[in-house]
Amino acid sequence: MAVIDASSAQLESAVVAAGAKPRGRWRAWMRTWIPAGTVIFILAICFLGPTVLPIPGATGGDVLESGQGPFSPGHLLGTDSNGNDVLSRLLSGGQASLLIGISVNVIGIVIGGTIGAVSAYVGGLFDTIVMRLLDVLIAFPSLVLTLAVAQSLGPSKRNTIFALAFFSVPAVARIARSSTLRLREMPFMQAAQLCGSPTWRILLRHVAPNVAPQLISFAALGMGIVIVTEGALSFLGLGIPAPAPSWGNMIFDGQQSMSATPLEVVWPSIALLVTVLAFNQLGENLRARWSGR
Amino acid sequence: MSAVSGLLPTRSGSGFGRLGRVAGSPLLRLIVKRVVMAIPILFGVSVLTFWVLSLIPGDPARAMLGMNATDQQVEALRQQYGLDKSGPARYWDWLTGALHGDLGISMVSSQSMSSMLGDRWAVTAELVVLSFIVSLGVAVPVALLAARWPGGLFDRVSMVCSMTGLAVANYVLALLLVLVFAVELGWLPAIGYVHISDGIGGNLKSMILPTLAMAIPLFCFYTRFLRGDIVDQMQGEDYVDTARAKGVGPWRVLWSHAFRNSSFGLITIVGLNIGTLVGGTVIIEQIFALPGLGQLLLQGVNTRDTVVVQDLVIIFAAIAVLANLLVDVLYAVLDPRIRYGSH
Amino acid sequence: MRRIANVNRRARLLGPVAGLLAVALAATACGSSSNTNSNNGEAGVNVGKPQAGGSLTVLEDSGFAGGFASGLDPATNTTGGANLPQMQSIFGGLFLLEADDNGENAKIVPNQAENYSFSDGGKTMTIKLRPGIKFSDGTPMDAKTVVWNMLRDSKSPCSCAPTWQLAKKDPIVAKDNLTVVIHMAQPNGALISNFPISNINWIASKTAFEKMGAAKFKVAPVGAGPFTVVSDQLSSELVLKKNPNYFKSGQPYLDNLTFKSIGGDQPAYQALEAGQADAYEGMSTVPLINQAQKNSKFTITLGPPTSPYVVQLNTMKAPFNNIKAREAIYYATDFSAISKGLFKEDLPVSGSFAGPGGLFYHKSVPGYRNYDLAKAKQLVKELGGLTINLGTTNIYTANQVMTALQTQWEKAGIKVKTNSLQLTGVIQAFTGGNWQAMLQTAGAWDPAAGVGVAFRFASTSPFTGVKDPKLDNLFAQAGATTDSTKRDELYQQAAKYISDKAYAPFGFAFSPANVAAKGVHGPGLTTPIPALAVNTQVLWDEVWREQ
Repeated sequence: MAVIDASSAQLESAVVAAGAKPRGRWRAWMRTWIPAGTVIFILAICFLGPTVLPIPGATGGDVLESGQGPFSPGHLLGTDSNGNDVLSRLLSGGQASLLIGISVNVIGIVIGGTIGAVSAYVGGLFDTIVMRLLDVLIAFPSLVLTLAVAQSLGPSKRNTIFALAFFSVPAVARIARSSTLRLREMPFMQAAQLCGSPTWRILLRHVAPNVAPQLISFAALGMGIVIVTEGALSFLGLGIPAPAPSWGNMIFDGQQSMSATPLEVVWPSIALLVTVLAFNQLGENLRARWSGR
Repeated sequence: MSAVSGLLPTRSGSGFGRLGRVAGSPLLRLIVKRVVMAIPILFGVSVLTFWVLSLIPGDPARAMLGMNATDQQVEALRQQYGLDKSGPARYWDWLTGALHGDLGISMVSSQSMSSMLGDRWAVTAELVVLSFIVSLGVAVPVALLAARWPGGLFDRVSMVCSMTGLAVANYVLALLLVLVFAVELGWLPAIGYVHISDGIGGNLKSMILPTLAMAIPLFCFYTRFLRGDIVDQMQGEDYVDTARAKGVGPWRVLWSHAFRNSSFGLITIVGLNIGTLVGGTVIIEQIFALPGLGQLLLQGVNTRDTVVVQDLVIIFAAIAVLANLLVDVLYAVLDPRIRYGSH
Repeated sequence: MRRIANVNRRARLLGPVAGLLAVALAATACGSSSNTNSNNGEAGVNVGKPQAGGSLTVLEDSGFAGGFASGLDPATNTTGGANLPQMQSIFGGLFLLEADDNGENAKIVPNQAENYSFSDGGKTMTIKLRPGIKFSDGTPMDAKTVVWNMLRDSKSPCSCAPTWQLAKKDPIVAKDNLTVVIHMAQPNGALISNFPISNINWIASKTAFEKMGAAKFKVAPVGAGPFTVVSDQLSSELVLKKNPNYFKSGQPYLDNLTFKSIGGDQPAYQALEAGQADAYEGMSTVPLINQAQKNSKFTITLGPPTSPYVVQLNTMKAPFNNIKAREAIYYATDFSAISKGLFKEDLPVSGSFAGPGGLFYHKSVPGYRNYDLAKAKQLVKELGGLTINLGTTNIYTANQVMTALQTQWEKAGIKVKTNSLQLTGVIQAFTGGNWQAMLQTAGAWDPAAGVGVAFRFASTSPFTGVKDPKLDNLFAQAGATTDSTKRDELYQQAAKYISDKAYAPFGFAFSPANVAAKGVHGPGLTTPIPALAVNTQVLWDEVWREQ
C-alpha cells in the first residue's frame, strides 16, 4: 500500500515537473497566491474591518442622513435609504454571506461527500436505496422546503444555512458517488482492499483525497449562487432578517428600486464578483495540485 | 473513464430482462427501465411534498375565508377539500384522483386544475427548453475554444465573463437586460408573452430576454465546468496522448476524444441543474409578466391555495425527473458501452 | 472603415451602461436635494377635450391589485378591495367616489344609482336606480337583480361578505322596478362611504350567472360597467373591450383596456419606460416615485393620503399591558424624521387615524406624546429595560419604516427584534394573539369604511391590540349617526382617547402613486382622488388618450 502511495506521488511529481518550465514557476506562484491572498484579504477585511476601521455601524444609522452619495463626509461609499453606512454594511454583510456560502459548501462536501463515497464504495442494495432517495431530493423543488422552513421556523442565519445546505447535499453526493465508482476500478484501490485495510481507512486515506478536488471545484462554482440565493430567500420569508446586512439581501433590496438607486446593487455585486473569482481560482488551483494534473 | 458514468446502473436489472428481450433493442430496454425507475421517485417526491406542506402552520381554510367566516363555514370548506382528513388519507385521495387525470379543484378560484394549467405549461416549457438550448449551445463552443489554448487570451476573457455571470443574481440580470435591450435600444419587448399561434417571430421575440436571463448563469456554469474537465482530459489521459502520437490534429483530439468524454460530466451537471432551472422560472416569470406555471405557483403560495401548490410542486418535480430520464438516455446514445451493459 | 463601424457598435452597446452609471451618479449626487412636494399630476392643468378610441395597457402589482386569484365575481372575490380597477371596469358601480381635479371636495356620488336616502333614523336606506341600464348581455339592471346580488353577497362564505347588520325580516327588498330598500338592525353612518369598495357596489347579471354557473362566471363575469371581458387569466391578464351598451353616452373613451399583473414596482417602471404599458397603479417604492417624477415621459399622481401608519401595541399582553412601556414607544418614535429621511418630504403627522385626504382630519391631537428621547430613556430605565418584537407586512416601504423605527427605539434603550411577514403571517400573528407591536396602516377616507379605525381598535375585530369598552362605545356612536358634525366630534374624542391611553402611536399617511405615460388622462389616474382604503379608484370610463 505504501508502495502504491509512493508511486502515485512519484507520478504526481513527474507530471508537475513536466509541466513546470522555468518561466512558469513564478507564474504558478502568482497563480496560487493572488487568489489565495485575495481570499485572505476579503476574509480579513470583512471579519476584522468593522471593528478595526473607523467606520459607523452597519445598522442604526440616522434616517435623516439617508441616500448620500459616495465620498460624502464620514461615508466613503455613501449611505443607504435608511441612513446606514454602505461600506460598513458591505463589510458586515460580507461576514454573513461568506459564513453562509462557506458553511453551506462545507456541509455539502462533508455530508454529501460522505454519503456519495460510502454509497458507491459499499454498493449493492444500500447504494440503490441511497441513490433513489437522492433522486427524490434532487427533484424536490427548493421553494416548498424554503416556505416550510420560513413559516414554521422563521428567518435566521441557521435556518437559512439549513435550507440551502439541504439542496447542496444531494448534488454533491451524486458527484462524489460517481468519482468514487471510478476510483474503485483503479489498481491502487484494489490493492488496498487486498491488503485488508478497514473500509473507513480506505475511504479516508484513498477515496477522500481523490474525490475532494472535484467537489471543491464544484462548490467554488456554486459559491456565488448560494450567496445570491440567500438574498432572494427574503422574498419568501427566509434569509438574513433585516436590518442585518448580507450581500444577498443588499442586492435583493437594491434591485427593488434599481432604476433609482443602482449603486445599492452595484457595490455588493462587485464584492460578490471579486469573492467568487478568487474562490474559483483557488478551487481550480487546489484541484490542479491535488489531482496532480 | 468518464467522471460520472458510474451514475448509471452497472448491472442490468434482471426483472426487466424479459421485457427488454421482447422489446428487442437494448436502448429501448434502457428507456423502459428508466421510466419504470422514475415511478418510485415521483411517488417519493409527492409524499415528501405532502408531508412538508403539512408542516406549514396555520389552517388554509381559515386563511382563505378570513376572519368574518363562522366556524361552520370554515368546517364546511375543510370538509369540501378534505382538510379534515388525516395526512395519509388526503394523500390517497389526491393520488387516486391524479392517476385518473383529475388534479383537483383550486381552493381559491374554484377552477379545475387542468383548466388553470391550460396554456401555462407551454409558456414555462418553452422558457425552460430555450434556456437549455441557448446555454448549452453557447457553452460547448466557448468551452472548446477556451480549452484549446488554456491560459490564452480567449480562455481568460471567457473565464472572467463567466465568473461575472455567476456572481450576478438572475433577477438583477433580468432587469439589466430589460434596461439595455428594451428601454435603451427598444429592440425587444420588456414584458409579456406572445402566443405561438400569433406568429412564431413575435413569440420568439417575447422570449429572448427571459431566456437570456435564465440561460446566462447556466451558460457560465456549464462553460466553467466543461472547460475544466476538457483541460484535465487533454493533459492527463492516455488515450489523448495515444491519439496525439498517432498524429491526430489538435482540434480532432479536442472534439472527438476529450469533449466526447467530458460530455458525460456535463450531462450530469445539467441533470443536477434542472430542478434549479425550473424553480428559477418563478422569479423570471414575475419580472417579465409571463403567464407560466411559476407565476401560478407563486400565486398559490401567496393565497395559500394548498391544491395549486401541491400539484405544481409535483409537476415541477416531474419535469425534473423526466429531464433526468432524458439525460440518462442521452448517455446511452453517446456511450454504446452502457447500452450493451458491458461496463 | 471596418474599424470605425466597430467603434460605433461598441459605443452603442456601451451607451446604456454609461447611461446607467450617469444616472447612478446623478441619483446619488442629488438624491438628498430632490424635494418633491405633493404631486405633479395634472391638477388644475387644462388637458383639452377627451378623445375617443385607442387601447390602454395598465400594469398592476401581482402582490396587490394584480392578484385576483379568487376570480372577479363580486360575491366570491376575496380581494375585491384591491381589485378596484378590474371590478370597476366590468361592473361600474352603484356609487363612486369623485373629487375635484385637485383632489379636494371628494364625495360619494351615485353612478348606476340615481339617488339614495336614509329614513327611520338611519336604519333604512332607499336606493333609486338609474332607469334604462342594461347589462352587457342585454338583460335589464332592475331592482330585483340588485336585491338578488346583495343577498347573495351577504350570504357568501367569503371574507369579502359585507359586515352590515341587516334586519331579520325582509332585509333587502325591491319596492318597485327601480327602487331597492335596505333594512338594517341599527343605523349605519358609514354605509354609503363603504359602498365603493364593497362587493355590494358591483351588480352582476343574474341571467348570465345562472347560464354560466359560478365557476365560469368568476372568470368571465357579466356586468353593466364600461367594459366587457374578452379574456381573463386569473392574476395574470384581463383583456377588456368597450361595452357598446354602456349607459353613459360617448363613454368609455377607450376601445380596449388590458390589465397585466407584474412582479413589483421596478419591473413595472422599466416596462413603462420601454413603452410596453401605458400606466401603472399603486407605485409605493419611494426612490422609484422620485425617479419617475424626474422623467418627462410620465405623469405621476399621488392620491391625497388617507391611511396613516400606526404602530399597533398589543395591550392584552406584556409588555404593552403596562402604560409606561407604551409611553416609552410614543416618546421614542419620531415619524417626522422618518418622513424626511425615507420620503424626502415633510408629510404631516397628525397623531390620529385620519389622513389629510380623508374625512374628519385635524392637524393634531391635543396632549399627544411627541418625540422626546430623554423621557423615553427615563421610562425604559424605570421599566428595567424593554425588549419587544416589531412586525410588519412584507412590503418595501413598510420594511423601511420598520427598520427606521427599530433604529429610533434602540436609541432609547429598547431592544427590538423585527419580523417582516407575508400577509398570511400577519393574519396568523393577530389571530394567534402572539404579537407585541405591529406596524400597519389604520383609517380610511371615512374612518368607518374599509380598513377603518374599528378594524384596528374595536374589541370585536381580530386585528385589534386594544379591548376597551369606552372606545367601542365611541365607534358605535360614530357609526350609528349619519350627522357628519356629530361623527367628527366623536372621532376626535376617539383619537384623543387613544392618545391619552397611549394605545398606538400614529405616523404620517402615505398614498401610493399612479404612473401614466404622457398623453393618457383620466380622473384618479392623472388627477388625484383620495384613496378609499389603500388604492385610488380610477374612473376607467373617463380615461382617454391623445390620438
